[in-house]
Amino acid sequence: MTTKKHDGSRLDRDETTTLEAVHPQLPQMAEDVFEGKVSRRAFLRTATLLGLSAGAAYAMAGKLTGEPFAPAARAQDGTPVKGGVLRVSMNIKEISDPATVDWSEKGNELRHVIEPLVRITSDNVAVPHLAESWTASEDLRTWTFKLRQGVKWSNGDDFGADDVVANFKRWMDPAVGSSNYGRFSALRTSNDDGSPMLENGVVKIDDHTVEFNLRVPFLALPESMGDYPALIAHRSFQGGNWVEDPIGTGPFELVELTVGSRARYRRKESGWWGGEVHLDGIDYIDHGDDPAAPLAALASGQVDILYRLNVEQVPAARAIPSLVLYQADTAQTGVARMKVTEAPFDDVRVRQAIQSCIDHERLLAIAYQGLGVAGEDHHVAPVHPEYAALPKPTQDYDRARALLAEAGYADGLEIQIDCVAQPTWEPNTCQALVEMLRPAGIDLAVNIMPGGTYWDRWMTTPFGFTSWTHRPLGTQVLSLAYRSGVPWNESSYSNPDFDALLDKAEATLDVTERQTIMEELELMLQGDAVIIQPYWRSIATASNQKVQGYAHHPAEEHHFEQVWLAQS
Amino acid sequence: MLIFLAKRLAFMALTMLAVSILLFLLLEVNGDAVAVKVLGPYTTEEQRALWLVANGYDRPLFVRYFEWLGNIATGDFGQSIRFRVPVSEVLWPRLVNTAILGGVTFAVMIPLALVLGVLAGMREGSVLDRSISVGSIVTTSIPEFASAVLLTFVLVFWLAWLPGTSSMNDGFAWRELVLPVTVLVLYGFGYIARMTRASMAEVMQTPYIRTAVLKGLPYRQVILRHALRNALIAPFTVIMLQINWLLSGVIVVEFFFAYKGFGALLLEASLNQDIYLIQACAMVAVFVAVATQTIADIGYTYLNPRIRFA
Repeated sequence: MTTKKHDGSRLDRDETTTLEAVHPQLPQMAEDVFEGKVSRRAFLRTATLLGLSAGAAYAMAGKLTGEPFAPAARAQDGTPVKGGVLRVSMNIKEISDPATVDWSEKGNELRHVIEPLVRITSDNVAVPHLAESWTASEDLRTWTFKLRQGVKWSNGDDFGADDVVANFKRWMDPAVGSSNYGRFSALRTSNDDGSPMLENGVVKIDDHTVEFNLRVPFLALPESMGDYPALIAHRSFQGGNWVEDPIGTGPFELVELTVGSRARYRRKESGWWGGEVHLDGIDYIDHGDDPAAPLAALASGQVDILYRLNVEQVPAARAIPSLVLYQADTAQTGVARMKVTEAPFDDVRVRQAIQSCIDHERLLAIAYQGLGVAGEDHHVAPVHPEYAALPKPTQDYDRARALLAEAGYADGLEIQIDCVAQPTWEPNTCQALVEMLRPAGIDLAVNIMPGGTYWDRWMTTPFGFTSWTHRPLGTQVLSLAYRSGVPWNESSYSNPDFDALLDKAEATLDVTERQTIMEELELMLQGDAVIIQPYWRSIATASNQKVQGYAHHPAEEHHFEQVWLAQS
Repeated sequence: MLIFLAKRLAFMALTMLAVSILLFLLLEVNGDAVAVKVLGPYTTEEQRALWLVANGYDRPLFVRYFEWLGNIATGDFGQSIRFRVPVSEVLWPRLVNTAILGGVTFAVMIPLALVLGVLAGMREGSVLDRSISVGSIVTTSIPEFASAVLLTFVLVFWLAWLPGTSSMNDGFAWRELVLPVTVLVLYGFGYIARMTRASMAEVMQTPYIRTAVLKGLPYRQVILRHALRNALIAPFTVIMLQINWLLSGVIVVEFFFAYKGFGALLLEASLNQDIYLIQACAMVAVFVAVATQTIADIGYTYLNPRIRFA
């Protein structure tokens, strides 16, 4: 829940106010932590002693020092207690085949029992999980994954290469209908639909080594293995209903699952390869689709933690002193993108003029309650490992007017933007844009339409507002949306230099090196003014004070092995 | 009497048949749309075509309709798309839950409304009458979604007296029933109370009551022996209608408090386009509506001696 840790800025206004309310000395102390004069531990002690909730104190300390929740520090400030069942409010959806799941909630229903080879942590880093380590060849086309030894399935079998190969075989069979078929298209003979997996695509070297041979270089292979449809089921699972015989390597076993109602998990008696697990079990409770219900359940102690808090609910949750709020910075965003082949947006001066009118911080505050990080109009997020910090874009109406006059619109410009009606942050952002463009003489009309209608024309409209989801790597997003001629290139942006540089970035495994290339890519996109990117959305949730050791995940994944419940 | 009953039952059956035809035409006439809903939006044309043939959608409409009707008559509603189990497995427990919610609501609401209504109607224009009338108008005019939010704010977030949701996750809990029942009672009782009041006030002005009072009968006896029976005829019909309104009220209340009942199920089914579940829920709702209407007719005739069974 560290916010803006990459550019090193401090607490926002809300947090400072919170500190001030607890004790007038605290904001100064926070300042000192930021400057390194006071230790993080001293701050935590003082702040919690003065009455700041532990969760908030940890969060702020993490933000000030730029370090995420450090497990060591956590253990020092509170010894985990064993026992207790964590009650979570979340929709319970049907999960008969782990390979075809398509919602984050479904991933969470599976994740406590079956596990991925690679895990994406709350800080958006890919770390080994069932895989112990991996290496890639120079050309990024041959990857060798070492699997963890001594991992047992709940039925007593050893986990090994056979399990991994069996899962990949199933995923890469188009008849199964797994989204992994597209995710690992580098493992197929061609990119066409229906093509089979390469003969030597996935090879068992020995019981604990698997080699992947790709058709094309694919940097994001480990990240893709961390996605929820890539959880590894037992090699005997070949379709049917997984829930009826849920064999797993994870720390918990599934006891009961009733769609639309609840799911219960109990800690596995035989232990977990990853070490000690504190919770006795997990109970998921489905409270339906009304976002008010989970919050009411949390406030009255019927559950311990929520799956999600909508941005509109954050102020309400903040007003309840007994709750702890969690926030995760994500690479989820929305972009107001201009089609570079359509008038008047085919003139780069017009696009730059529009860009010059934007105050990103204000957009974030108006349309998204300030919960996020201001955007920089280049679609690489601060949470992406290869993100390179650029000077902040600033609002400059003189420049905007000059550019417009130069482009022949000295008397003003009338344009229209298309956007969806739901979720409300999207039309809200467009409405805020209207006000920001007006002083430069740009008259923007907002055309709000139902989701289905918008998605029919998102590729063709001259000016549209499109939401994009979180992806672990910046290169993934750029390749999807800004490469010449790719299917999702909604702006029709086409720049050979950009493409070539992106190729280079995608073939660079070293992150620092990739960062240098990324800086150039970011500047290129920014300068060509293809998109207005208002902000990166933070997602939020809340728990009661009992829940310890939880960090909110940018893709809303639940990892509960280290979570424990404080005795109240 | 028997002829009357038979007529009513036949009318009931006809109504349900008509509704079933409408329902079938509305949801199933377009087979392709059904296939999309069952198989999901990412399936190919081919898969859908295969599914349609495998499930007999290539046969004439009326054949499919009668088959469907036969299945429904024997309690086979098909497979729920969202829950992946037979519809009846989801439907009956949910109906029982709503019956509990509705039963408790009625057990609180009816006595409350009748007593208040009779008290108000006994002395028209008194302070008691005015305050009961105003009170019931106020509560009836606040919709359930507003009172649910208000009560939750006060009793859950502020005073922390009651649990905020009613999923009954750890078995049946009376405490979890308090909020939904209160919301439903607040909305529903005022209407019955006002009907009772009007009916009672009317009866109190009839000559036979005046005669009874003038004869010197104790006031208490006049009310209990002579006024009440006649005064309750009109409210009885309203109470039966109230069952129908309760069915729509529970949708709001169950959704808000995450109560696992029929109302929430109906809403979930429509939001998720679970067509077989929608069909089943709609048939149940129609059955309840028609059945309560029949009971109301029979009861009214029985209570009012001026109307004879014919």
